[in-house]
Amino acid sequence: MKEEVIHLIAEVLEIKEEQIHEDTNFIQDLEMESLDFVDLVAAFEKKYHIEILDKDIKTLQTVGDLIQYIEKKHV
Amino acid sequence: MCKLYILKNRSAKEMLHEVLQEQGITDIIVYNAYGKPFLKNKPFYFNMSHCLSYSILAISSKEIGVDIEKITMRKNVLERICNEGEKQRIQTAEDFTKVWVKKESYVKYLGIGLSYGLKNVDTLKLKDFVVQKVDDYYIAVYGEDLSKMEVVFR
Repeated sequence: MKEEVIHLIAEVLEIKEEQIHEDTNFIQDLEMESLDFVDLVAAFEKKYHIEILDKDIKTLQTVGDLIQYIEKKHV
Repeated sequence: MCKLYILKNRSAKEMLHEVLQEQGITDIIVYNAYGKPFLKNKPFYFNMSHCLSYSILAISSKEIGVDIEKITMRKNVLERICNEGEKQRIQTAEDFTKVWVKKESYVKYLGIGLSYGLKNVDTLKLKDFVVQKVDDYYIAVYGEDLSKMEVVFR
């Protein structure tokens, strides 16, 4: 799961996988803007057939947060 | 009173501090629960956005929201945030970017951000936007009484 998530983040943001770790913060480390974030959310919803609730988006601050969220939703 | 500063290679936060200094206002920036910044004593409202080399700052006597984005097309985002009517009208990257900045400026006006749900913002029904194109960027401002908004390039 972790490797898959990192691979997809790298693909959507067009950055190297080496730049991404579980404790990587989307805003502070990757300087992501809202558009990138929604693009990422949409990509994960599509890949894992899950719904990421809008109200939950701001709780997903790090790659680790996103992995945990997907693991809970993707049964 | 409403003023939009369009800044190239300058930070909106620095511009804000300049405005505060010009007006002799000493106030601190605080944030609401969703991260929207405002001046503690609210001598005026403001909102900022940046994209690559451009930044924008809007100051107003009323609550305001702004967004700037370089012209782009993100199909996954379009599917996620647009209603059927909006989807039918989006043919080009310019169309998409205009809808994106409108939705963003509205949720920033509300002070709720992405948590509001961009799909809940119907840009075909909401009318109080000012949209401006600068180079390859679109800017949207949402607020009240924008008809007399002054635009300043710095």
